[in-house]
Amino acid sequence: MSEISPEVPDNRQDAPSHVDPNSTRITKPGVKRLVLTLSVLFSLVLGFPFLWKSVEIYRSSLPFGEISEMESNPSLSFPCRFQAVFINFNSNPSPNHLQLSILDKITELTSNSSQCGACANDLALSVTVDSISSCTQTHPTDNSNYYRCGAISAVDFDFSNDDDDGVDELLESVLGVKNVYSVVVVNGGGEGIRAVVGKYRHAWIVGSVEEEEEESVLVSRVAEIFVKMFVNGGTENGLIHGEFMPVGADRRIVLSFNLLNAEPNDWVYDWDFQRVDETLLAPIIKVLGPIANISVESQVLYHTPKSSFSYWDEKWKSYIFSTKDLPFFVNSNEWHLDTSIAAGGRSKILQFVVYVPSAKECPLSLLLPTGEISKTNGFISPMWGGVVVWNPPGCLNSETNHPSRHTMSREDLQAVFEVFMGQFRQLFGLKSNNLYIGASGTYHLLPSGKGFTEWELDVLSRQFACFNLHSCATTLGSLSRLVQSLPRMIIMDEIGKLVQFSLEAAKLAQSNASLGDNESSAGQARSLAEDAFFHPSIMSISYYSFEHCFAIYSPFFLPVSMHVLLAALREWKRYKQEKAKYTAWKAKVKVES
Amino acid sequence: MLADDMACNARNKYPAQVFNNENHKLNLYGDNVEVDYHGYEVTVENFLRVLTGRHEAAVPRSKRLLSDEGSHILLYMTGHGGDEFLKFQDSEELQSHDLADAVKQMKEKHRFKELLIMVDTCQAATLFSQLHSPGVLAIGSSMKGENSYSHHLDSDVGVSVVDRFTFYTLAFFEKLNMYDNASLSSLFTSYNPTLLMSTTYYRTDLYQRKLEEVSVTNFFGSVMETIHTDSAYRTTHSRKTSETKMPLQESVKHDERRQLINSNVQDQTSDTKIEDKQCPFTRRWNAFQDKLEKIERIDSLVNYGFIIMFPLLLIIMFPLLLISTWLLPTFVS
Repeated sequence: MSEISPEVPDNRQDAPSHVDPNSTRITKPGVKRLVLTLSVLFSLVLGFPFLWKSVEIYRSSLPFGEISEMESNPSLSFPCRFQAVFINFNSNPSPNHLQLSILDKITELTSNSSQCGACANDLALSVTVDSISSCTQTHPTDNSNYYRCGAISAVDFDFSNDDDDGVDELLESVLGVKNVYSVVVVNGGGEGIRAVVGKYRHAWIVGSVEEEEEESVLVSRVAEIFVKMFVNGGTENGLIHGEFMPVGADRRIVLSFNLLNAEPNDWVYDWDFQRVDETLLAPIIKVLGPIANISVESQVLYHTPKSSFSYWDEKWKSYIFSTKDLPFFVNSNEWHLDTSIAAGGRSKILQFVVYVPSAKECPLSLLLPTGEISKTNGFISPMWGGVVVWNPPGCLNSETNHPSRHTMSREDLQAVFEVFMGQFRQLFGLKSNNLYIGASGTYHLLPSGKGFTEWELDVLSRQFACFNLHSCATTLGSLSRLVQSLPRMIIMDEIGKLVQFSLEAAKLAQSNASLGDNESSAGQARSLAEDAFFHPSIMSISYYSFEHCFAIYSPFFLPVSMHVLLAALREWKRYKQEKAKYTAWKAKVKVES
Repeated sequence: MLADDMACNARNKYPAQVFNNENHKLNLYGDNVEVDYHGYEVTVENFLRVLTGRHEAAVPRSKRLLSDEGSHILLYMTGHGGDEFLKFQDSEELQSHDLADAVKQMKEKHRFKELLIMVDTCQAATLFSQLHSPGVLAIGSSMKGENSYSHHLDSDVGVSVVDRFTFYTLAFFEKLNMYDNASLSSLFTSYNPTLLMSTTYYRTDLYQRKLEEVSVTNFFGSVMETIHTDSAYRTTHSRKTSETKMPLQESVKHDERRQLINSNVQDQTSDTKIEDKQCPFTRRWNAFQDKLEKIERIDSLVNYGFIIMFPLLLIIMFPLLLISTWLLPTFVS
């Protein structure tokens, strides 16, 4: 398209008049259209970075470095404070010598245990030798919590009758200090050595020791009490399977007690659960408060047969089921146990079942592989709960033609709940027989009315803290690996905050543990980490792929940008052409003039 | 998860019943079958949420997979499928890499100890080709390029009722009883390619234990690991003394509870008293409502109402009709 050029004045027309519009032009080409199209193109190009930033995937930044650091070292180290008091030893052994030998024994025993934070770095032992004539002590760093000379004497230990509870209370009143474990060794009494571990944080050994060589026996027993009882909780390798702890991710446990009547047409049993809840369960729940938030539910179910079979045995005069039947005992089809409304999605429910067999199978007893009948008639399944088979009294002889309603008697209920207590402890990895047989001898363990002794609670809370921290570290590690492997996944702010709080709680737990202060930061850390990992927005199929992004934005921008680009190119080409024409004409004019 | 497209299909002659054999002996949708995800809830997203555990906070426990580090999980998938995918609800697909991803996340979070995946679709073996987490065992009914076929047609219902792979799996288990110690390798080798018309393929490279040593009850039959309880936890004297102290406090609590219950009853009686003091209109209205509630043959009342309505309408509408057709136009025009 050529411009309409203004009238050329006549005096120019004596120049050669063949002005070929295809190859020459007389006026300078205009730049308006070029400037217009180039400015549109330029603004489009300028806007592109803004578009890119606006479709960027929002990812809240996670502290990957800190997470990997925590994951490589998720350990808690607890300080161990022990003291040993030797009373009435007339040979006056030196406390420092005793301290060294006990420490040797302790390090020997802890070297092959893999418990978390078991006195690895921070171990302090104080030894006192207290006799009528003198009292010598090793010098611990802080004196205030340790034993004062003369507080206990041999007469307090009445050797004739075994009043263990009384001795326990007495020692507690003298020695009762948090975080310090004590063993009192008394020379006196009858023959042999008797060792008792109390309900609080102390133990005592009573024996008559005359020669010096028996001192090493005492030393090894003291060390064994310290390591095997107070540090390891009386178990060989910690928990049942090493890492399983029956606590939910939100630090809640729901205990669900179920009374199952297998055949209500024979008899129907009910129980006074309210009483049991108030008298037996309430102290236990209170005592476990720092470890987990426990709630209790109960129900009575009917028509709940079991799925395994039993046979009549004349010798035992009862129907027998063996340990081979135990895995099939719980009939998940008919036993509708998990119907709790109080439990949230991430709480842990432990089921405790009392099974009342039908008349066709009553009494029902469990035969152990050793050939004996089980005394408890019960079993547990780790991380699930426990079952006790309770036979109604006099069921072998009774004629039941009509269904009869009964309530379980108080004594029966008490007995059943003692078995439940044993099972509950077993689920946490603690044994319930009152005797521990160690390498150096046997120890009597005093049972506590609250279900757990204080040293057992210490062990549990340490193990829980370790487990929670470990779980928190692995969860955060998995989350960071997942997030890094999906670079186009949206990570919301909430997840970033949860991770940050979790890391802070974990650090707090680590620092508190080394000071000996055991509280619930580790549990909180784990709970926050699980909230972050299980956040419902992290769904891998819904991340924002590149094809998706392209498919959304290209219909808006591709056609427009194509047109603008083409227009700019065309104008540029035209400008160049016209410019070439103009310069050609100018050259011609110059040549001719 | 059942899409229920067969049980709740309008063309199903036996509604809500699904049989696995044309003799109709066993209703698979029996009394104690619990289905957690039905119908439109069966989506790829929900499936992956169940596996990975990423639910909203309000999702109830019955819709979650409540497994932990020691669980053995059986995952059985059947339907239409193809090369590296499984079809959901005729509109979505589960890709093999999504499944492998979900299993990897489950393993990272220790949601299972052992997992058995059984797939019964066409080209089933391709669905687990991308798995690489340890502790997983997988078997598919056909290999890449092969189809899986149905077993027999039920001419009464009009569709095939069971697939061949599923049929032979069920047949294997019907022959066992509880105490048989059949191993997984006997299950896996029981499939006959000629009868199935396809080759089953299983991968054991991710599974540490030998198949001959693993019993089928490891995954099937809801079998639990059990430990006998050796002793009960008994305290000696202290419990009895604490018990005698407790009842005093206990009885106080019972009295309080009784008082609470009593006060509720009192509130109810006071409510009825208030009613008598109401104005006569509301009293009559309440009495009318009570009468209405007592009427048993309500539909006859409705019919009477209809019959009464017409003359009533006529009586009411007639003057209005009159006005509108005769009187108004004369005024207006």
